[in-house]
Amino acid sequence: MIMFDRRLLKNFGWSLFLMTLAFCAISLLNLYSASYETGLISFKKQFIWIGVGIITLALVSFLNYRFLKQYSIYIYVFSLLLLLYVLVFGKEVSGSRSWIDIASIATIQPSELVKIAVILVLARFYDNDYQATPYGFLDLIKPIILIAIPFVLILLQPDLGTALTMLLVSGSMVLFMGVKKWSVAFILIVILGVSFYSWHYTLKPYQKDRIRTFINPSSDPLNAGYNSIQSQIAIGSGGVTGKGLRSGSQTQLRFIPAQQTDFAFSVLAEEWGFLGSIFVLLLYFTIILWMLDTSSRAKEKFSMLVCFGIAAMFFWHVVVNVGMVIGLLPVTGVPLLIFSYGGSSTLTAMIGIGIVLGIRMRKFSMSGEAIDLG
Amino acid sequence: MQDFRNRLLIVTVILGLAFLVLGSRLWYLQVLKGDEFAKFSMENHIRVERIPAPRGRILDRYGKELVINRTSFDIYVIPKDVKDIPYLSSSLSQVLNLDSNQIEKDIKSALSKKSFKPVLITKDINRDQLAYIEARRSSLLGVIIEINNLRQYPHGVLGASFLGYIGKVNDAELQNNPNINNTDLVGKTGVEKGWESSLRGDHGYKQKVTDALGREVESNLFLADLHNKKSMPGNDVRLTIDISLQQAAEEVLGEESGAIVVVDVNSGQVLALASKPSFDPADFIKGIDSKTWANLVNDKSSPLLNRATQGLYAPGSVFKMVPSVAALNEGFINEEEHVYCPGYYKSGSSTFRCWKRGGHGRVNLRSAIVKSCDVYFYKIAEMMGINNLNKYMTAFGYGSKTDLGIEERAGVAPSREWKKKRFNKSWYKGETILSSIGQGYVSVTPLQVAMMTAAVANDGKLLKPSIIKEIVSYGGEEKFNHTPTVTSNIPVQKQMLDLVKDAMVGVVNDPGGTGRSARLQDMMVAGKTGTAQVVSLDSQSEKRKHRDHAWFTSYAPAESPEIAVTVLIEHGGKGGAVAAPIAKKILEVYKKLKEEREADDNV
Repeated sequence: MIMFDRRLLKNFGWSLFLMTLAFCAISLLNLYSASYETGLISFKKQFIWIGVGIITLALVSFLNYRFLKQYSIYIYVFSLLLLLYVLVFGKEVSGSRSWIDIASIATIQPSELVKIAVILVLARFYDNDYQATPYGFLDLIKPIILIAIPFVLILLQPDLGTALTMLLVSGSMVLFMGVKKWSVAFILIVILGVSFYSWHYTLKPYQKDRIRTFINPSSDPLNAGYNSIQSQIAIGSGGVTGKGLRSGSQTQLRFIPAQQTDFAFSVLAEEWGFLGSIFVLLLYFTIILWMLDTSSRAKEKFSMLVCFGIAAMFFWHVVVNVGMVIGLLPVTGVPLLIFSYGGSSTLTAMIGIGIVLGIRMRKFSMSGEAIDLG
Repeated sequence: MQDFRNRLLIVTVILGLAFLVLGSRLWYLQVLKGDEFAKFSMENHIRVERIPAPRGRILDRYGKELVINRTSFDIYVIPKDVKDIPYLSSSLSQVLNLDSNQIEKDIKSALSKKSFKPVLITKDINRDQLAYIEARRSSLLGVIIEINNLRQYPHGVLGASFLGYIGKVNDAELQNNPNINNTDLVGKTGVEKGWESSLRGDHGYKQKVTDALGREVESNLFLADLHNKKSMPGNDVRLTIDISLQQAAEEVLGEESGAIVVVDVNSGQVLALASKPSFDPADFIKGIDSKTWANLVNDKSSPLLNRATQGLYAPGSVFKMVPSVAALNEGFINEEEHVYCPGYYKSGSSTFRCWKRGGHGRVNLRSAIVKSCDVYFYKIAEMMGINNLNKYMTAFGYGSKTDLGIEERAGVAPSREWKKKRFNKSWYKGETILSSIGQGYVSVTPLQVAMMTAAVANDGKLLKPSIIKEIVSYGGEEKFNHTPTVTSNIPVQKQMLDLVKDAMVGVVNDPGGTGRSARLQDMMVAGKTGTAQVVSLDSQSEKRKHRDHAWFTSYAPAESPEIAVTVLIEHGGKGGAVAAPIAKKILEVYKKLKEEREADDNV
């Protein structure tokens, strides 16, 4: 199953791996500053999570992706079971049942990991399907169901942010594979209809507030808009070169909300300025480019689509999170992968990178070649 | 697969565009607007705590406290720091017995403006309320307790008419004085207003670093230098008023409407300045409520009017000193010349009556003053004409403000020019005749009469009256010390004035004098009575409204004058019967107080 082929090590994507390590280092430094005033608890935990994540990354990268392809359905079903488990037995944190308590040592948020499962199962679906023309609505019923089940389960927790990013990632994959124009229009109408319905019947008042204050943040500066305004003040006040490590007043005096998790990027922007935040954005950009490059070199639809899906996952997390932090998008609980404190999202990101590295290593193993698949 | 590679190219372009948008926004926030946001972040964590400076005290001439300060605890809310406005509003309303909706409204309306500026909820809470709020500060985030100073009046209503009242600062006052806070109370009338800039303290402040929950943080890491400024209490203003004499003056006025002015004839210092009816300055301490204010303003008895300096009255016969000095000095008469008074005076086709229907018979200057014969003055007025009369009215200070420094009115010293300007009509001889006995167009304030009396007593110096003796800074530095200022030297020879002074002694001491009820056993008093006719156009007014104003003005001791006392009782009737006894009481009190002080000094 795991091949210790010399060629594998030779083709190991060192650049992606090193970028990931650099990224981990920056995120830990940032978290050190953000959690200093609260006793470095989350810094220490994240340190361990990143360690676990790197080991996981290594293990996953040596796993042949064909194994993933073969077992994608099982992984998918297993993840759905986890989501169901969470809904029934999950630990409730601030109104959402999203967490599994593992022997009181750590908590896991399955909805983050589900993203990988959905990417895999969608790639598997398209890999089996040899349709040449763009897909019509009827052709898409199966993938839509594959997406809809975890989407609804995550919404029920409720975790709007994670559900939306999952939808964005899988939607990107479906669009990438081609959809007939009329079908796109139809799906858009369905989405608008659902949005309209949910605005009036299912969204909780706090969720509505978030969307409202996004449209006009200063309308209610003490409540929902507070986070966005404080975050923008932090970022703006960082200026070009920043206030320096542990010297950001917005961070250290805790004006930035959720500064260790969703708003970690504003800490970076305040203390390291425009230069620091642009550097981190460029790092993300390069990582995503690298993944797309791997996707374009893939010899199979499955591996191509998996790489694309993981690149999309990173992309949407960056856009939705940074967009929120800099005041371009509404406040949704979407973390910045690796950068935000949180075991599950870090682990998910590491697994994703591991999968891409694994595919990259095997780029020379042509689909026709006899490779041990058991 | 080639198809997908092309698609990946498009995806890469989209990716690049998305990052370009994120990067541009960061450029906008951090590079273009960086300085602006840096200021915001400062405001975010720097809280400025005001240290209000108390107003200076107002003391009487012997250092007795007339207006002082006491500590009050005021409740403010910083809207930005409130997490739950309805909860906070209802908690505060319960403790403070205020309307919860009003508090909520006030906080919310301030939110949209400068939300870090404190909003006043209420002033001067009691000790129980203070203890309750102190104990629950953690659940009442955003509430701040400010220690402030409120005015206190140890002598109650005494002197209210010249001390004045304070009130909330208005926009015009705010614009003119950058040192005033918008929550300050400033002087609105009287000494409080006139010496506002001396009395007002210089507010201090203290900058503090606070965290997002509003808690003060020790760390000085985020700002190199915090600015602090000490608060500096206002200067103490020491008045020329003797509060004991003031008290006597207000007591003898009693329920009457009127005014009493007591001045030191040698320095111009005002020793007492009573005006009744008056108001209670305590009503204004926290800013007056609209109902009390409306009552004061609509009160027909005009309690807010300082009758001693703002009340305009016809002076009647107390004015006769002016034509006396004028005619003597201009050579129209000498002390020997007699005039026959049949009880009336004919000029052309007009007849002017003397107040004594039967007439005074033969009168010279002295007996005309002592008996207050009108005909004598009609005669000399007609001889000298309005120009000569006006010259001396002006020299005695009539028609212009004395420049005391509190609200006052100038009154009228009529002349041809004045009438032309005022009514666009020419002057009639009859008007000169009426002016000589302080009727007609002549209108004066009691203070002006007192200053005239002082000028007669001190041999012709019209002094500028002063109500301020000394101004001393909080640190003890003397900022002002009163020295007598002469407004004008009345152009009169001493022997001429002595004739008038002698006649004034006769008014009080001669058997036929009109002011005999002001006579004192052990102090020679000189004075002049006045009974001013009231021309009332108000047909609905009561009968009392038509009664004459009673005047008496005096100085004592006659041989070496110290003080002048002027009394006016509105609609009091005869000056000799009503006003003179009041002046006598004031003079008695003055003498007693002086003897007590001398006894104290000797001990």
